[in-house]
Amino acid sequence: MSKRALKRGLTGFWWLTLFFLYLPLAVVVLFSFNSANSSASFSGVSLRWYHRLLGNEQILSAFANSMVLAVVSSVVALVIGCLIGYGMYRHRHRKLGWLIVLIYLPIVLPDIVFGISEMAFFVQIHQATGLLKPGLGTMIIAHVTFQIPFVALIVYSRFVGLDPTLFEAAKDLYATPFKRVLHFMLPTIKPALISAFFLSFTLSIDDFVISFFTAGPESATLPIYIWGAIKKGVSPEINAIASLMIGAVAVAAILSLVFSRRRQT
Amino acid sequence: MSDTIPADIADKTDVTPAAETPCQDDSTRKASAIELRGLHKRFGRDTVALDGVDLHIQAGEFFTLLGPSGCGKTTLLRILAGLEEPDQGTLMVGGKELTEVPPHRRSVNTVFQSYALFPHLSVRDNLAFGLKMRGLPAAKRDAKVDEIADFIKLGDLVDRRVDQLSGGQRQRIALARALVCEPDVLLLDEPLSALDAGLRSQLQVELQRLQKRLGMTFVFVTHDQDEAMVMSDRIAVLDGGNIQQVGAPSDVYERPANAFVARFMGHDNLFAIHRSEGDWVETEIGRMRLLPEEQRDTSDGWLLVRPETLELGPEVPEGYNRMEGIVRERLYRGSRIEYRLEVNGQVVMAVASNLGQRIHREGDEVTISVCPEDLVRVAA
Amino acid sequence: MVEITQHTMRRRAVVSEMRHLLFSVTPGAAWIIIFLVLPSAYLMGVAFMTNGPYGLPQMPLTLDAFERLAGFGFLGWSPGNLYTLLRSLWQTLLSTTLVVLVAYPIAYYITTCRERWRPIMLLAVVVPSWTNQVIRTFGWMNLLAPGTPLAELAEGLGLIAPNMGLYPSNFAVTLGLVYNFLPFMVLPLYAAFEKLDTAQVEAAQDLYASPARAFWHAVFPQTLPGLLAGIVLVAIPAFGMYVIPELLGGGKGMMLGNLVATQFSGGSNWPLGAAGAILMLIATFIGLFAMRRIGKRLGGGEEVVI
Repeated sequence: MSKRALKRGLTGFWWLTLFFLYLPLAVVVLFSFNSANSSASFSGVSLRWYHRLLGNEQILSAFANSMVLAVVSSVVALVIGCLIGYGMYRHRHRKLGWLIVLIYLPIVLPDIVFGISEMAFFVQIHQATGLLKPGLGTMIIAHVTFQIPFVALIVYSRFVGLDPTLFEAAKDLYATPFKRVLHFMLPTIKPALISAFFLSFTLSIDDFVISFFTAGPESATLPIYIWGAIKKGVSPEINAIASLMIGAVAVAAILSLVFSRRRQT
Repeated sequence: MSDTIPADIADKTDVTPAAETPCQDDSTRKASAIELRGLHKRFGRDTVALDGVDLHIQAGEFFTLLGPSGCGKTTLLRILAGLEEPDQGTLMVGGKELTEVPPHRRSVNTVFQSYALFPHLSVRDNLAFGLKMRGLPAAKRDAKVDEIADFIKLGDLVDRRVDQLSGGQRQRIALARALVCEPDVLLLDEPLSALDAGLRSQLQVELQRLQKRLGMTFVFVTHDQDEAMVMSDRIAVLDGGNIQQVGAPSDVYERPANAFVARFMGHDNLFAIHRSEGDWVETEIGRMRLLPEEQRDTSDGWLLVRPETLELGPEVPEGYNRMEGIVRERLYRGSRIEYRLEVNGQVVMAVASNLGQRIHREGDEVTISVCPEDLVRVAA
Repeated sequence: MVEITQHTMRRRAVVSEMRHLLFSVTPGAAWIIIFLVLPSAYLMGVAFMTNGPYGLPQMPLTLDAFERLAGFGFLGWSPGNLYTLLRSLWQTLLSTTLVVLVAYPIAYYITTCRERWRPIMLLAVVVPSWTNQVIRTFGWMNLLAPGTPLAELAEGLGLIAPNMGLYPSNFAVTLGLVYNFLPFMVLPLYAAFEKLDTAQVEAAQDLYASPARAFWHAVFPQTLPGLLAGIVLVAIPAFGMYVIPELLGGGKGMMLGNLVATQFSGGSNWPLGAAGAILMLIATFIGLFAMRRIGKRLGGGEEVVI
């Protein structure tokens, strides 16, 4: 096979794969505009499913839950993860193997084991003490748990990439410990903090399994609502809400592209 | 300014102080003496960085800590900065004890080897950082930064981003960032080691000129003996965590305290002394007469013969020591000629100024003479 | 003058360092221990307890749950759970293999394109995985449902019975897994291809002449660390997958994750579910350990696996 034929074959395969990757999403978006109540045939453009969404209080409250969960958990994880990332950096010459294992644990644990152990544990604690009632609170706890490692690793790698004498220069230039944090460390790792926050937010919005097992009756998020709707029987309304979420991802993708471009130039 | 430096480099790197010296009143008053007593520092269990260092640095002095890597010079500088605490001993600056004072409460600033400019800040904010941390109001900060920028002729560099600067420019910003705080003592940790040779020799001269104008106490760390000699008022040579010798560059170069200092200062012509007897010593390269004050009771030690003090030629002046040797190698360097001679089976280096006298060729047999006044006895 | 002894100064420094370590690391470490390590330990404990009323665990300790997991019940041995386990393994193996077969040429192709296009191409591969897993799987439900063009094509070819649709089925689960995990394989493989030492490839072409042999001896070994990282990223979560088999698999497409989840959500048998979770954990750690061993032997070093 000649090089050119190989390249042409690969190009074809590339477009085929892209088609495969985007087909299911495209179908969801397409049928969200379907005027008929069917997922098999398209019978005309209409916005009726989107109109229905606005009147659906369950969906609106699920949306609110998703947002509150994502924002609150990301903020908490940012603070805790940032501290632990800095601790890992500052004490990187010590033997911190146990800490590394601890930090990787939430990443490697299968979602289902993660979700179920937290659920079982929360249920027991709740029965014994009345604390940790399943709901947004328990979901926030669970989400923070899987966000911490990502924040910590991002912050850690930012610190490792810095010239260590910068810390000494800040001391040398009269910065007290508090001012060092405020005027040197936080501004220096700001890009890492921003990307850690967005990653945490995305992980939270993306999660279904862990949310599903730690949720209470009142705290369904959008993915949980969609899951329930699918289980009850496919409704075109799901296409509409799912399309909105796909749209949000598309916006995020474009933003990330623009930002990475700007950083390069 | 030297005209051997290309115009574009010279233009960008001119740190010659302007006629007016804005910080002069303050800085002459502020120059502080440093007193170190019995400093010990150990890393881990086995690494001894400082092994009992006593040192007095005068106010307004350009003082250099010179030595090979691992000699303790950087540790000493870091103790002065407060970035390292000594295990034992005391540090006084300007009469105040600073041993346990954290770096942010010492009026001591450092120019770091890597320059350590904050990447998240503009050049202007880098310059103002120390003043801001000291709580100076913004208007005063700006005025001081403009003043120092003018003084060191930073020009439009002040409005650049740190990542747009060249190595030489970073070095100047780092210097200005430390100077703008008007410290009692300025510490410089091999600040020129990352620059290329031309720029480096220019900045050596200019840094020294700057220090004289400011009258500030500078403590400079380097492993380059030429750099140390060009710039310093006094040099301390360190090895193995101990001070080997303290003195003016000419003292250290011409009268090294021991063989280590002599070798480190670049002397190759060191010859073992076998026996002393009256004004005479028996050495590897023959019998030599020394000045009476060079005589010691012990017979060990080395004879230092500086290459530039050797004269090659048939006639030997009255009272000079005389040797016979063979030219093994000749290096023509324009202004001077270097000879590698063989005397008594030993290699002897000689340097002659190129004044139009006869140039010896390889294989020539030559008579070598040296004045007893130029011979120095060096302890082992 | 105050002589400060070596001892007190050392100790003061050590104490302040330890306090610092404690302050920075404790909140996060405590969080993970309390909200993940303790719950997992509790779950493991549950696996050895007796199934009580409402599916909640009780004393005494027993190995009943593991026997049930192996198929021994009140009515004697039945192969249901064992089938689920084997199906999980098979689906993991099959989908990982397929993902490698698709991702390998894709990752290579991206590195052959112009440099300015590569980040965009990578983004194009990754973006679908940013949408929620439930929505992505729902998209496949739309595509594979009875009456859709794909289902009718399969019907026309005689692959499925009329009006059945392509899901629920094991085929749909495999498809969903491949779709879900493709980006996880492309990224590490791309990183490996990008680091590829082209001099080695050219030397190989010089020496062996045949492109296939050049690939096998010069290219493939260099991409192996990336491939291993990709396999870890795909196989471990695939084995524990819950959403895809639940939506696309139906009763006959159940995997271990569904078996475990059912024991908790239906409130039927916590100890049995916990035993299943232990099985999943063991598989996870064996997988990680094996990859580390192979990775070390290959000299791939400490490639961070996220």
